[in-house]
Amino acid sequence: MSAYRSLGRNPTIILQKIKESLDRLNEKMDVMIEIQKHGQKESQNIPDVLDVMTLLSLPDHLRKTAVTISRLEQATAEEVAEQTRRARAVESGYLNQLVMMGYLKKERRGRKAYFYIEK
Amino acid sequence: MVDVGKIVAFHSYKGGTGKTLLSVNLATTYASRGKKVCLFDLDFRAPSLQAAFKTNDNEYWLNDYLNGICDVKKVLIDLSQRRVKKGELSVGLANPATEAIREMSAKDRKWEMKALGRLLTLKNSLLNDMEFDYLVWDTSPGLQYSSINAIVSADVALVATTIDASDIEGTQRMTHELYDLFEKKTGIIMNKIPAETISSETGKRKLRKQFETIHGFPILEIVPCFCDVLRASGTYIFTEEKPEHPFTKIVDRIATKIERF
Repeated sequence: MSAYRSLGRNPTIILQKIKESLDRLNEKMDVMIEIQKHGQKESQNIPDVLDVMTLLSLPDHLRKTAVTISRLEQATAEEVAEQTRRARAVESGYLNQLVMMGYLKKERRGRKAYFYIEK
Repeated sequence: MVDVGKIVAFHSYKGGTGKTLLSVNLATTYASRGKKVCLFDLDFRAPSLQAAFKTNDNEYWLNDYLNGICDVKKVLIDLSQRRVKKGELSVGLANPATEAIREMSAKDRKWEMKALGRLLTLKNSLLNDMEFDYLVWDTSPGLQYSSINAIVSADVALVATTIDASDIEGTQRMTHELYDLFEKKTGIIMNKIPAETISSETGKRKLRKQFETIHGFPILEIVPCFCDVLRASGTYIFTEEKPEHPFTKIVDRIATKIERF
């Protein structure tokens, strides 16, 4: 306030100064929002990529499901079960686990649920 | 059920173990049996098949396929007329330009994930749709994304190893920590073994047993160090030019063992 007091009683100058301060504040807020967005994106991406090193770190039963999805690109639990020769309900459990871990995406189309890797 | 073809990946812990020589000769051996074969150079850090086949007539590289720029059909070069007397042989080459090598070594995890997906889909596009009998991957040595992607996408993994102490130790670690995880049909090929070590059948059996215990996988063949193979220095395909040579016979046995895998 003291800075404004020194400007005297000219309201135009005071308003101009307030506007400049608000602009600077807005710029700083934009930078902070960007940093936050970027930070969130990075922390989401790093553990979610289903690359071969991640496949190596998965337990055997999930790795088989994950490799099958990588090959089929997108599939239902039934289609994965056909390839792995395990029960559909078992594959459905593993696929949902991989979704929860952030490695796969799930999309419902009509009565079927499709699992896929987000490219 | 229709018998679809197989993808065979050649890998090793260290460089210089003979992966490229064995891949080229194995692919040619299958072609000479009347098979439709495609050999892929998946060693993007040190591409070598372009020099081996002396071909310049490709518009696209495997790099382009993995980058999603083109279909795999655009990458394949049919060398059946020029390089083999029987069967069909095509090759897919890695771009040997320095800029391409630099570009491939700077890829991130997301790209490697997509590349794995693209390699896995080749089973459908090449083995099922184009009816190839064998795809042979020549990979880069060690534990790198490109080589592990290749192993994961293959049906059979062959590991070439020498009796160099650091190679034995590294290969042992790699087979136990990596190959066990992927439950691949795996075979070891011991290459460049000094002839005197395996001059007797007893010596050969002893060596085979010793290394099967170390690596935990079957030793498919023990290949002696052949000076004339080295002397050919990759200028011609040995199994095509020297059908009676012991090296050709060994590669032929490897081909049969993989067929039965």
